[in-house]
Amino acid sequence: MSKRDEIPYGTLDMLILKTVALGEEMHGFEIADWIQNQSEDVLRVEEGSLYPALQRLMVNGWLTAKWGRTRENRRARYYKLTAAGKRQLQNELEQYNRVTAAIGRILQPA
Amino acid sequence: MNVWRKLLFLLRRKAFDRDLAEEMRIHVEFRADRLRQSGMDESEADLTARRAFGNTMRLGESSRKAWTWQWLEEAGQDLRYGFRVLFKNPGSTILSILTLALGIGANTATFTAYKAMVARPLDARDPTRMVNIGLTRGSGVTDPLFSYPDYQSYRESIHSFNGVVLNGFPEHLTLSGVGEVISQRTALNNSLLGKLGLVTSGSGSANVEFTSGLIVSENYFSVLGVTPLRGRTFESMTAVDLTANPAVLISENFWQKRFANDPSVVGKTVRLNGAPFTVIGVMPRDFVGTFIAVPDFWIPISLEPFIHPDHNWLRDRENQCCRMYARLADGVSINQAQAEMSGLTGYVGGLHDSHSDLSKPASPLLWTGSPFPLPLNQYGGLITTILLIMVAVGMVLVVACANVASIQLARSTARQNELRIRMSLGASRARIVRQLLTESGLLGLIAGIVALLSAWAFLRIVVTMAANILPTDFGTLIFYVTPDLGIFTYVLAVSLLASILFGLVPAFESSRSALPSSLKGNGGAPIGRSRRLQDLLVATQVAISLTLLIAGGILIRSSMHALNTETGYDDKRVIDLDLQFPEGLNYKRERKLTIVRDLRTRLAALPGVTDITSASPPNGQGLKVVKFSLNGERPSLQDKQFIFYNYVQSNYFDTLGIPLLSGRGFRPESGQNDHSVIISDSAARELWPGQNPIGQTLRLGTDEQYPTYEVIGVARDTLGVTTNGADVKKVYVQLPLDGVTSQPILIRTETDPVQLMKAVQGIVASVDPDLASPTSTLQELLSQTPAFTTSVIAAMVASTIGLLGLLLASMGIYGTVNYLVALRTREVGIRLAIGAQKRDIIGLILRESTRPVFLGLVAGMFLSVGAFFLLRGVLSGLNAFDALISFIGVSLLFLVIALLASYLPSRRATRVDPMVALRCE
Repeated sequence: MSKRDEIPYGTLDMLILKTVALGEEMHGFEIADWIQNQSEDVLRVEEGSLYPALQRLMVNGWLTAKWGRTRENRRARYYKLTAAGKRQLQNELEQYNRVTAAIGRILQPA
Repeated sequence: MNVWRKLLFLLRRKAFDRDLAEEMRIHVEFRADRLRQSGMDESEADLTARRAFGNTMRLGESSRKAWTWQWLEEAGQDLRYGFRVLFKNPGSTILSILTLALGIGANTATFTAYKAMVARPLDARDPTRMVNIGLTRGSGVTDPLFSYPDYQSYRESIHSFNGVVLNGFPEHLTLSGVGEVISQRTALNNSLLGKLGLVTSGSGSANVEFTSGLIVSENYFSVLGVTPLRGRTFESMTAVDLTANPAVLISENFWQKRFANDPSVVGKTVRLNGAPFTVIGVMPRDFVGTFIAVPDFWIPISLEPFIHPDHNWLRDRENQCCRMYARLADGVSINQAQAEMSGLTGYVGGLHDSHSDLSKPASPLLWTGSPFPLPLNQYGGLITTILLIMVAVGMVLVVACANVASIQLARSTARQNELRIRMSLGASRARIVRQLLTESGLLGLIAGIVALLSAWAFLRIVVTMAANILPTDFGTLIFYVTPDLGIFTYVLAVSLLASILFGLVPAFESSRSALPSSLKGNGGAPIGRSRRLQDLLVATQVAISLTLLIAGGILIRSSMHALNTETGYDDKRVIDLDLQFPEGLNYKRERKLTIVRDLRTRLAALPGVTDITSASPPNGQGLKVVKFSLNGERPSLQDKQFIFYNYVQSNYFDTLGIPLLSGRGFRPESGQNDHSVIISDSAARELWPGQNPIGQTLRLGTDEQYPTYEVIGVARDTLGVTTNGADVKKVYVQLPLDGVTSQPILIRTETDPVQLMKAVQGIVASVDPDLASPTSTLQELLSQTPAFTTSVIAAMVASTIGLLGLLLASMGIYGTVNYLVALRTREVGIRLAIGAQKRDIIGLILRESTRPVFLGLVAGMFLSVGAFFLLRGVLSGLNAFDALISFIGVSLLFLVIALLASYLPSRRATRVDPMVALRCE
């Protein structure tokens, strides 16, 4: 297995929101799988933090969930972004970009 | 809003758990599928997937956390655990709850009673707009009394008032013409004061019973804002109407008690003091208006001459008969009304007789409506008493809090190990402190509920007793005693604070000692400090409860004395017949004289009767005093010398069994013309010390025209009625021959006085059924004397609070010793291990724990001596022996209880297994 890094604190919510936004409707395993694949196995979402994070996002009203069927006709719980969730994702992305740009400026040799 | 989502979650909790579990299971399945696809065999794929997923339980827990308020969840846990801990130690839990409940309950009850009895408003609609009116004259004393003409002058002229009312004082009236007379003796025996023998009811003859009436201005009810339950009030009638058809209102209480709610009573005619009145309405139950007792009848003031035809005080401006109240007009403040009234007092004063004090300048004083005739701050004695009681119950609360503190300290010391384990398992100190706080808060809360319920129950019982405290003919006392929630909250807060504070000390103590470095020790130093505090608290509570109990004891002995002292006359075999003629009926002097003579002849014929005389009994009411001068001196007006005197007939001394010590008795039938007196032994020694009093002369009264009397005999002293006993010095003057109509009849009997009293009633009824004839033995009269009544009531109050104190003190001692034992388990273990006997251990603990008790006892003794001096006024016939009995008796009682309270827990110390105790090292 390749070397994995911890997902930086505070970015997991943003990653989940972004992932769900891309796929319209996704279930938990898909979300974790997608993040892992897209990051080329660098980022791995632990189940121990994925599910509490999903609950947190639902409490805040950014995600909704409903039961559905996979293509293989298996039951799964699908998450969907709400309007508030879209706004939140936008905010978080902007904030993230500001912060990384600032950090980048500091780290870049002048 | 996520609050709503969270609340919704609470409702769908089960569904949530199911969904989450399902979701996690599916996740694991996906993972296993993926693993199988990559070539892993079935069972291993399953296992690996599950292992990768981790602890589903914890995951569920942390997922759920997102949806709930964590503090709420933890508070729930704390509560559940708190309850479990409280139930695990039922002994100390019940002790704590009882202690706190006593403290809270006693305070709530006292403050509620204070508000119900002392700080009570008028019974009126919008009572804060009602004011009492008084006048302050030169001396600075407020005079709350007005005459009817004064009332008329003020009534119409003050615009700040929206109605002014007047009321007289409740009085005893005879009631007749209502058909069958109920036995008031029976009613009396059912009333508390009747049972204690503190009042004797007027026992009617055949047709007469006694009732209570209150004279009020006609607008009384409309200004107070109360409407009748049935019928109408006086204002529905014109003045002329009222005089032509005299009307009264009846109280619902009396209507129910006497007429069994018979609706036909409205419109019926009753006779009050012999005069006919029509009942025009029934006032609502428990309506007391400007008083604290419900009268049986309200009588309009314009009809006062009907019930007292002999005097005409309605027109007399100098006759201060009544109290005055007013309702403030809308938007007018008390000060504005007072200012407006100031402009009028000079004018009204000028209408008075210029020699009268009432014509002197005065300024009006208005204060918020209260049944008390004076502003409360003018009752020095009352305020002091209330203050003392408040201090006493306040002490009870302090003591209660101290007790709970001891119990809490003891408990947490015993729980050190548990707390240590919890900390090593990862509980934060804050979490533990919170847990302990929850427990003490819970304790305080339960105690508060118990206290509120028991205070409420207690007050209900007292009030029900109070309602029946007076016989029917005195009216019904009314107190509203819904526990005062303001006070309750305050007291509950105080006790919660106390229990939390003392819950905190051990919380910090134990959380600190739970640090690994101090794992071995029990952390001694700070606890030593709180031990001293506890000793001090125990000593204080012992001292105070001891004082209260000793005071109670002395008062009880004093009241026993008042009943059993040598009176100097035969109080058991003499009956007092207090004959009363109906005022309204046509009884001329001659007719009265005939009746009394006839009665006396018939009574004398009764079997067992040996003597009959007409005189006030030595312990009856109506003491008379007179100024006097000796041996022909000119009487001086300044001289403050008064002496008590009594009119007697020549056979008075034989009838009451009072021996003459020297000289001779009165000559029978000589009347007053003899100009001779008999004096009591004490009077003789005071007036003519060292001389022979026989043959000396004295003048009674201030006028030189009055005759001088020659002392012809000296009678043995009789016991006085006044609290200072001054009336033991007495002059007996012979009763004029026609004076018998105004005197009670005293009958001496050889047979059973109770049987004789029945016979006497029968004879009175046969002579004239309209006569009222209360009878009692002289001994019964004795229990109505102020000295006796005061000491009985004071004894009840002091003993109750004292017993409460004793109870709390013993609980406190128990708690302290319990704590001590818990603290010293290790030490006791070591002592036992190196060979100490159980006896030694118990001795050691008893010695330590009784030290503050002894300290408190000594302090209490000193306080009691002080209390003894304060109480001298109300004590009768006490000697050093009584004081000694009370002091030693109560102290011994205390000591025994204290020893018992410390012996029980100290025995536990001896059960310490030395090995267990030492293993702590």
